[in-house]
Amino acid sequence: MYEALVAFCKWLEGTPWGVSTRTSLWLYPFIQLIHFSGLTVWLGTNITVDLRLLGVGKRRQTAAQLSDGLFAWNWIGFCIVVLGGFLLFSSTASTYVTNPAFRVKLGMLVPLALVWHIVVQQKARVWGQGEETLPAGKLAGLMELLLWISVITAAVEIPNY
Amino acid sequence: MWENLEHVKWVTVLAQTGWLYVLVSVTHYFTLLFFIGTIVLVDLRILGVADRNQTVSQLAEQLQPWTWVGFALAMVSGFLLFTTDAGAYAFDTPFRVKLLTILLAFIFAVIVQWNVPKWNRSPVMPAAAKVAAFLSLILWLGAILAGVEIAALSGLG
Repeated sequence: MYEALVAFCKWLEGTPWGVSTRTSLWLYPFIQLIHFSGLTVWLGTNITVDLRLLGVGKRRQTAAQLSDGLFAWNWIGFCIVVLGGFLLFSSTASTYVTNPAFRVKLGMLVPLALVWHIVVQQKARVWGQGEETLPAGKLAGLMELLLWISVITAAVEIPNY
Repeated sequence: MWENLEHVKWVTVLAQTGWLYVLVSVTHYFTLLFFIGTIVLVDLRILGVADRNQTVSQLAEQLQPWTWVGFALAMVSGFLLFTTDAGAYAFDTPFRVKLLTILLAFIFAVIVQWNVPKWNRSPVMPAAAKVAAFLSLILWLGAILAGVEIAALSGLG
């Protein structure tokens, strides 16, 4: 199982995109730009809805309306994030896979946050129907917020290992 | 002069205390990604490709307070990060380009924000609005690119 993972990493590093991202001085920052731009849309939509669920700030729409309205770009943002992340990963996959911060980020925190986000997005229709969100919705929104903050924390720690 | 800033007591504490530096970094990344996201979403709405269930004003009024809260926190955390290596950052060209790009992007963010109520009243979104929104998007993406180029070109941060 571990050998398969190592072999997969080596293969990724040898792909045209893996090689280009790793060796080109100008391409790597552009791939980072893709990853971060996607994150602005992904986090922008997620956190906006979380804050609305919590009831802080303006209440121009219900949390349900806001979540529905931002649904499309939420997942477009996610696709851009994954594209950028995959390309960054491919550049030096074997070093990422042994990096403890990266393993925590992608192996634990991202799946957790993602599943939780999907739950919140589905339930927002019920919890966030009224002007004041139901208590379960507020708690759920707060938890999502904290989960994405922890993902960013793990990401920031990656260069330290 | 900038070099001296690095030797101020709280700056050395920040630079040398791992968890504190991580906290400020996380604040910087989280708030900048979020506030730029709120701007991007309003720009996309003006361009007519996002959230057409709300009017531009409805979406903008919901998001804009957070744009400014996020921007303020990003600036404060950014300044703190700057102080830890002020002597190097102050003379780093990619860093200066980043600050300039942020300034230009900020100007467009204000232009868009001031005009949203007027544009919202138009039966059809004016071309000028779409141009402003598009330029706002480009400038903020430019600011992000300038940010990542600092490490790539100068090894700082």
